[in-house]
Amino acid sequence: MNLKYIYDKFLSSPLRAKFFITFLVVICFGGVATLFLGTRLEHKTIFSLAQAKVRHDLASARMVYNEKLFDVRDIVRLNSVRESLQNALKNKQRESLLKHLDPVRTEFNLDFLNITDAEGKVFVRTSNPEIWGDTQSDDPLVQSALSGKTAAATQIIDREELLKEGGGLAEKAFIEFIHTPKAAPREKDHEEKALALKAATPVRDENNVLLGVLYAGVILNRNYEIVDKVKEIVFKGEKYKGREIGTATIFQQDFRISTNVESENGQRAIGTRVSKEVNQAVLKEGKDWIDRAFVVNNWYISAYEPITNMEGDIVGILYVGMLEKPYIDLRNKVMGTFTGIAALCVLVLLVILSAITSTIINPLKKLVTATNEIAKGDLSHKVNINLKDEIGQLALSFNQMTDDLKKANQKLIHWGKTLEKQVEERTKKLKEMQDSLIQSEKLASLGKMAAGIAHEINNPLTSILINSHLLLEKTDDDPYTKESLNLITEETSRCSSIVKGLLEFSRQNPPKKEPADINRLIVNTSAVLENQFKFQNIAVKKDFDSNLPNVKIDTSKIKQVLWNLMINASEAMPDGGKLIISTSLSENGKKVVIKITDTGKGIPKENINKLFDPFFTTKESGSGLGLAVTYGIIQQHQGSIKADSEVGRGTTFTVVLPISSK
Amino acid sequence: MDKKTILIVDDEINVCKSIDRAIQNVEYEVRRALSGEEALDKIKENPCDLVIADLMMPGIGGIDLLKFLKTDFPEINVIMITGYPTIKTAVQAIKIGAFDYIAKPFTPEQLRSVVARCFKSEKETEKRPPLTTMPPGIYYIIGHTWVRPEEKNKGLVGVVHDFLKTVGRITNLQLPKVNDNVLQGEMCAKIKDDAGFNYGIWSPATGKVLEVNEELNKDFSLLKQSPYNDGWLFRCALTDFEEDKESLLLSK
Repeated sequence: MNLKYIYDKFLSSPLRAKFFITFLVVICFGGVATLFLGTRLEHKTIFSLAQAKVRHDLASARMVYNEKLFDVRDIVRLNSVRESLQNALKNKQRESLLKHLDPVRTEFNLDFLNITDAEGKVFVRTSNPEIWGDTQSDDPLVQSALSGKTAAATQIIDREELLKEGGGLAEKAFIEFIHTPKAAPREKDHEEKALALKAATPVRDENNVLLGVLYAGVILNRNYEIVDKVKEIVFKGEKYKGREIGTATIFQQDFRISTNVESENGQRAIGTRVSKEVNQAVLKEGKDWIDRAFVVNNWYISAYEPITNMEGDIVGILYVGMLEKPYIDLRNKVMGTFTGIAALCVLVLLVILSAITSTIINPLKKLVTATNEIAKGDLSHKVNINLKDEIGQLALSFNQMTDDLKKANQKLIHWGKTLEKQVEERTKKLKEMQDSLIQSEKLASLGKMAAGIAHEINNPLTSILINSHLLLEKTDDDPYTKESLNLITEETSRCSSIVKGLLEFSRQNPPKKEPADINRLIVNTSAVLENQFKFQNIAVKKDFDSNLPNVKIDTSKIKQVLWNLMINASEAMPDGGKLIISTSLSENGKKVVIKITDTGKGIPKENINKLFDPFFTTKESGSGLGLAVTYGIIQQHQGSIKADSEVGRGTTFTVVLPISSK
Repeated sequence: MDKKTILIVDDEINVCKSIDRAIQNVEYEVRRALSGEEALDKIKENPCDLVIADLMMPGIGGIDLLKFLKTDFPEINVIMITGYPTIKTAVQAIKIGAFDYIAKPFTPEQLRSVVARCFKSEKETEKRPPLTTMPPGIYYIIGHTWVRPEEKNKGLVGVVHDFLKTVGRITNLQLPKVNDNVLQGEMCAKIKDDAGFNYGIWSPATGKVLEVNEELNKDFSLLKQSPYNDGWLFRCALTDFEEDKESLLLSK
C-alpha cells in the first residue's frame, strides 16, 4: 500500500524528477554496493595479508625459541665430551667438576647446570653445591640421557626442584595472576612452577662406559631474551604512534610468563591470561589460532601455537601479534579514498545527468508551450529546436504539422468565405428563379382565365355582332340609327379583337425562330416609332455592338417586345428626354444583352416587382398586359428581362437573349 | 325546288337565335338544337342538309357530333363554329370531315358565304365528277390550301380544287406582300366571287413571303384552271415545316 503510494507519486512527478530519482537510485545503489564490496574485498585482502605475515612471524618466533633450546642442548653436549670432566666424574672429584662447570653456567646464562652419577643422582649442583645426592632419574630428559640419548625439551619444573637449584629461581618463577576479563576462570591466583628449556646428555669414559648425565636449563619465567629477540628480528623494533607494532609472548599454561606486551601501567604484562577461546583452541585442542584479538588494551592480529614437552603434552603457548591499528588506518585511508572517488563520480554523473535531462526536458517544455499556444489558436507559433536527434525530428514534424494545420485552417476559412459568397449567389439565383416561376405561374393562370373569358365572351359577342349587322342591313336611310349601329358593330369588333389578343396571349404559340440581326430589328422598330408624336421631344441614341452574331429569335415577337419597351420609355418621358438603346455580347459570348434606358420619372421600388404582373398598370389607359406579354415572349426565348430604376432619374430594362436556343 | 334544311346546334339560345336570323332565307328551312343530344334526336327523326354546330358543348360536343354524323349520315355537311379557335381543333375538324370552320364572333355575311359555298359544292358534286385531281407529293388542309416543299426550306402555296369548286367566278383576289409573315391556320389571302361573297384563305404553313404569283393578278381564272401549277399563290421561306406537317395531309 505504502509502496504503491510511492510508486504513484513517482509516476505523477515531473519528468526531470523522474530522471533524477531513477538515476540517483541506480547510482546510490551501485555506489553503496561497490563501496561495500570494495571495502569488504580490501579488508579481506589486507587482513589476509596481515594474517599471512603474522603466521610467518610466528614461525620465525618458533625458530628463535627452538634456537635457544638447541643452544642449551649444544652446551651440555659439548661439555659432556670434555676429558677433564669425564675424568673428574670418574674419579668422583666434586671440587674439580664444580670448577669446570660453574663458569660454563655463568657464561651461558644457564639457570642450572648439574651432573649426576650413573644412577641419576645429582653429584654436583653448580648453582647450589650444598645440595646433592637427590635422584633425577624420574626426569624424562635425564632418563633419556641415562639410556644414552641426548634430549632437549620444554619442561614444567616444580617449585621443589626450583628451591633445590637455589639462586632465587623459585621467586623468579612465582607469578601472581592479574585479572583478565576474557580469561577462563582459574582456581589459584598464582603459579609457583616454572617453564624451562632443558637438555640432558650422557657422559661416558673413553671406554664408552656411562659415567653420569650432564643436564642444564633455562627458566623462561620473567626471562625476556626470547621475546625481545623475536621482536628485534621479526618486527625490527618498529613503532606505530608510540606503540610497538610487533609483540611476542610465551605463556606457561594460559598466563604470560615472558612478554613484551605492555600493560596499562607500561610494565610487561606478566601474569595476565589468555582469552577463553584461545585457551580452548590452543591449550585444550592443540590447534594454531590466528585472528584479531584484543590483547590487554589494543586490538592485535594474533597468532598462537602450542608449546609441548617431551611427552607431547601442551605446556604453554607461543604468541606473536601485530598491532591492528596501522592496518585499520590503512584500510580506512583506502576506504576513504575509494568513497571520495565514488562520491566524485556520483557528482560528475549528476552533473552529466542534469545536462542530459536539460537537453531532453527543455525542448519538451518548448513543445508543451507550443502545443498550448496552438491549442489557444496561435497557429503561427514555431518550435525552435536545433537538434538532430529524435527530439529534433519531433520538433521538425511538429512545425510541419502546425504548418499543415495552418494551411488547412486558411483553406477552411477561405472555403467558408467562398461558401458564403456561393450561398449568396445561389440565394440570389434562387430568388430570381422563384420570381420567374411566380411570373410564369401568373402567366399560366392568366392564360387559362383568358381562354375561359374568350370562350364566354365570344358567344354574346357573336349575338351582338350578328344582330347589329342584321339591323344595319334593314336600316336603309335613317342616318341616326345607322350611326348607332355602326358604333355597335365597330365596338363589338374591337371587343372581338381584344379577346383575340387575350387568346393570343394565353395560347403562347411557340415562337417561330430564325436567325436575325438584333441591331437591324431595333433600327426598323425605332424607325417606325420615332415618327410618332410621342417621340417628338425624345433624343434616341443607339449604342450598338456592331460585331453581334445573328440571334435565333421569333422576329415578330421580339419586335413586339422592343415596341412595348420603347413605347413605355417614351411614356415615362412626357416632357422629353433621352432614350438609349445599347446592344452587347455577354461575358461568355453566348448571349446578347439589350439595354433600353430612359431618363424618365422612374419606377418606385414597391412597383418594380409587380412590373411584369398581368393587368398591373400605372397608366390611365393601359391594359396591363404589355410587360406581361413581353415577359412571356422573353421566357419563350429562354432569355431574361429585368428592370433597374431610380425615381427621378430613369429606368433601364435589360433583355438578355441566348444566341442559340431551342 | 326543295328547301335546304339547316340545323343549328349551340348550347346558348341567343347564339342559336342570332345565327337563325342571320341565315333566314326563302331557300332555307332552319331548325335549332341546344345540345348535341337534341341535335342527334332531331336528325334521326328528320335528316337535314347542313349542320352548323358549336365545338364546345356540355355532353356530346361538336367533334363527337361531327364523328357521329360522318359515320351515320355522310351526306350531311357540317360547319363548325367555336368561341375558342385553335389551329389544332380547326385542322382536326376538317380532317374528320367538316366542310369548314368559323371562329366566333362572325358577321352574318361571313356565315352566309360559307353556307352558300357549302350548298354550291353539293350541287357541283352532284352535277359531274371533278375534272381535276390532287397531284401526289403535296401537303394540304382539306378543302383549303396546299404547300409543296421545295429545296432550301422553301415552299409553294396554293388553293386546293375542292375549295375552288365551291366558289363562283372570282372577281377579286387579295394576295400577301413580299416579306409578309404568314402563319399556319391564319388568313393569308382573300377571294371575292361574283355572288359577292368574301372567302378567307388559310395559310397551310408558317413562313415569310418571298415571291407572289403576279400572273394571277392579271388573270384570276388561272386559279381555277390550274390550281396546282400556274395558279399558285406565293412562294415562302418555311420557318418550321416539320411542325407544320403535323397538321397537314400528304397527297398520294
